[in-house]
Amino acid sequence: MSEVASPDPRDLTVRSNGLRRRRVVEKIFGAVAILSALLACGILALVLGTLVFKGASQLNLDFFTKARPLFGEKGGIADALVGSAIIVGMAMLMAIPVAVLVAIYMSEYAGPKVSRALRIVLDVLNGVPAIVVGIFVFGLLVVGHGQSAVFGAFALAILMLPMVARATQEILEVVPQSLRHASLALGVTKWRTTWNVVLPAAIGGILTGVVIAVARVAGETAPLLFTTSIAANAISVNIHQALPTLPVTIFSFSESPDPGEQADAWAAALVLIGFVLVMNVLAKYFAGRKRRQLEGS
Amino acid sequence: MGERGSTMKRALALAFAVVVVVAVAIFAGRTQSAAAKPGAGSIVGTGSTFVFPLVSKWIPAVDNALGIKVTYTGTGSGTGIAQVTARSVDFGASDAPLSTDQAAACKGCVVIPWGLAGMSIPYNLPGVNGRLRLSGPVLANIYLGNITNWNAAAIKKLNPKLNLPDKKITVVYRADSSGSTYAVTGYLSEVSPQWKSKVGQGTTVNFPVGTGARGSSGVAGVVKSTEGALTYVDAAYSITNHLQFATIQNRAGGFATPGVRGVSAAVSTLPKKITNISQLKIVDPPKSAGKRAYPISTFTYVIVPTSSSKAGDMRKFIYWAVTQGQKYGPPLFFVPLPGSVKGFVYREIKTIQGT
Amino acid sequence: MTTTTYEPTAPEPELRRRGVRVGDLLFRGVAVAAALAATVLLGLIAWKVFDLARPAFQDFGLSFVWTEAWNPVTNDYGALIFIYGTVVTSLIALVLATPLSIAIALFLTEMAPRRVAGPIATMVELLAAIPSVVLGLWGILVFGPWVRDHLEPWLKDVLGFLPMFSGDPSQAGILPAALVLTIMIIPITSAICRELLIRVPRDLIDGSLALGSTRWEAIRGVMFAYAAPGIAAAVLLGLGRAFGEAIAVNQTIGNHSVIPSSWFAPGDSLGSKIASSYAGATSNLEASSLLYLAAILMVISLFANVSAQFIVVRFERARRGL
Repeated sequence: MSEVASPDPRDLTVRSNGLRRRRVVEKIFGAVAILSALLACGILALVLGTLVFKGASQLNLDFFTKARPLFGEKGGIADALVGSAIIVGMAMLMAIPVAVLVAIYMSEYAGPKVSRALRIVLDVLNGVPAIVVGIFVFGLLVVGHGQSAVFGAFALAILMLPMVARATQEILEVVPQSLRHASLALGVTKWRTTWNVVLPAAIGGILTGVVIAVARVAGETAPLLFTTSIAANAISVNIHQALPTLPVTIFSFSESPDPGEQADAWAAALVLIGFVLVMNVLAKYFAGRKRRQLEGS
Repeated sequence: MGERGSTMKRALALAFAVVVVVAVAIFAGRTQSAAAKPGAGSIVGTGSTFVFPLVSKWIPAVDNALGIKVTYTGTGSGTGIAQVTARSVDFGASDAPLSTDQAAACKGCVVIPWGLAGMSIPYNLPGVNGRLRLSGPVLANIYLGNITNWNAAAIKKLNPKLNLPDKKITVVYRADSSGSTYAVTGYLSEVSPQWKSKVGQGTTVNFPVGTGARGSSGVAGVVKSTEGALTYVDAAYSITNHLQFATIQNRAGGFATPGVRGVSAAVSTLPKKITNISQLKIVDPPKSAGKRAYPISTFTYVIVPTSSSKAGDMRKFIYWAVTQGQKYGPPLFFVPLPGSVKGFVYREIKTIQGT
Repeated sequence: MTTTTYEPTAPEPELRRRGVRVGDLLFRGVAVAAALAATVLLGLIAWKVFDLARPAFQDFGLSFVWTEAWNPVTNDYGALIFIYGTVVTSLIALVLATPLSIAIALFLTEMAPRRVAGPIATMVELLAAIPSVVLGLWGILVFGPWVRDHLEPWLKDVLGFLPMFSGDPSQAGILPAALVLTIMIIPITSAICRELLIRVPRDLIDGSLALGSTRWEAIRGVMFAYAAPGIAAAVLLGLGRAFGEAIAVNQTIGNHSVIPSSWFAPGDSLGSKIASSYAGATSNLEASSLLYLAAILMVISLFANVSAQFIVVRFERARRGL
């Protein structure tokens, strides 16, 4: 190799200052990237660790069977668990059929312009802050009638709708057209095609979207603050009254000076996170199923 | 394409029909649910966190005594007023009586006193050798931001024997609409002209300095976890959470505590016959109330629509609360209602009619 | 294919009369109804919020937006205090979260071996799953005191000459709230960035490496340039999320209705003020002023979300044109 004034940059046997500096820069940014990832994991570990450390000691039988305490007493979160379960369940019943139908309309029936308009509607709906949804439902339904679990569920359903609709629509788009064409070519009506052929193919993705939406909405406090926060300290299934819920309970206890209530808040948060984590695992399972199904077809 | 067009039109027509049917169902369901509300013997209320300790004791007791199930959450007096005005609850509890505008908005609500206690001023100063003494003007200056440090001259003057630290005062106030704020700002307006002109009295005011927290629980919580913090809260919260509270200088020159004796002394100068809520203002009592009179005492009220479907249960509940219910008060530093006030209460209860 | 005859029987014709199929009609009708319901819902929300805010709008007009006041005793209201709180906490969160999110996304796509990337990606996703009230709980009881006792004194030592780092340390204030918001938006932004970086065509990067660039230079020069619009969109989506967060901010910002000169000091934000005061608003003007705040919040969230969509659409189109 002939000697040239500046070494050939491709010749890695020659250490040029430029290359060394660039390698150092690369190492620095590599380190930054690793540290950032570690920081994120560290924060997660910190939050979860605190929850477990401070909350686990409260998780006794009393905690799960007694209702929330009145002033100066000891209690549990049984009524809030029941209330949350009922309200989230009702929200699912309200939101999922409508969301799936909207997605079906967008993907199977609507023209491109209408579809795009609806996508904008859903995105805007998704962007409405939860607190605004809360005061909307309050102003529309609670004023004059009183709070009730149904109104709380309705507020949560408004939050769930765009999430589930978007997830469903995206998975419907991925279902191969050949499936639809084959079904229609056999003389099956369009609606039966959608119901019996397309939806089952998409079910994995739909369930993933549903489970993610439920996990999100189970922890929402703001929509429930104005619609179902004045509830008796007793287990109740009367949906025409306000029912206590986990997030609102945590919110109330979080500012309390009483170490007992603070510990209850940690434990309730642990239960809530546990539920959310289980939902996330479930979502991953369904996503895996969806992938296997679509790859198989 | 014509066939598709007419299909589309019919589909749209059907869609509109479905929407109409669903909407009707929802509205019918709403009126249905209003009627299918909890049956007789069940009333829902919200409001003052100040009175929450006492109402907490009443709830199981009145269930035993009268079979009435009361649901109550502490959300702040302002919320109590707003929710009962909006008729989304059966009663509201507030330490602040209704203003003329609020009374007009509430459309026929009666305001009935059912509790009486003192507003303690707890603080967090570990290592101080004794209980803090404060006066009205000093407290006002602290809340105005004129006094910012615990070892300020004005505080030292009232507490010559205390080893006050060089520490910043963290003022804490109620961020939510609060009857406790109403009572304290009423007191501060009486003792400090600067407070009266700059801030004034209300359930929510523009506090010049400090940190806000929600509910009596919230302010007590901040004080408990912040060294140098100070706030105003119902005495029961200070006691239950082991917070040291200050003694406040009254017009007679004594330094009074917010206990049963202090508050009883404060109401000792009430007229024999009460005809109007405005006579129940007891902050900054006169010199004749004595050296024990606690200057920041307040009545707390229940606000009820005069005509409602729950009138019968409400009358029974309130009557029970102001008679038998009062015995639950003293352990929580609530003073039983004086006789002159009880007469007023009985007359007001009679105005609650059914629909 | 066999040669045995196979007579396919068509399924029963569904009431096929002159091309009109009742089943199809019904199903389509219901689907249209659902789409209409979603649209009507959105319209209803917008209408209700603006309608309830109208008394305040009539009283104060647009100047409400830049009025620095909130006094229920004198009935003097303005949004500036809360717009400041919302915007400043969100921007701080953005400035901190964006480089972190990009770094995390890079780590997961470029550097980590597959066995490590999976669990770490899951952990970042789980950070997103923490409900805001739980993060706020942690913020009040653990993080806030740590910020007051360690972080803020250190910042004051190092950057105390700047007015925003010069106040007294406090466990509730603009900075703790902003840091909690940072934790909330990192997962969202990093997940989107990760998707973007995966989609960058390998041949662009390989080409750069072939020309002798280091991996970091390839990433900076090629990946970022390619993914820049997407990253901008991700940032805007994170911003929209931060704007709308009311509960965790309410728990950590200190609820003091002023524009603080120091970021250590308590302040307030749009969502947080609504959460504190709406249920207890005791005059119609206060209630409708709070709704005015809600309308402003909706508008700025919408702006962030729509900008994100706009960037994506515009640059996707431009890229396809290439």
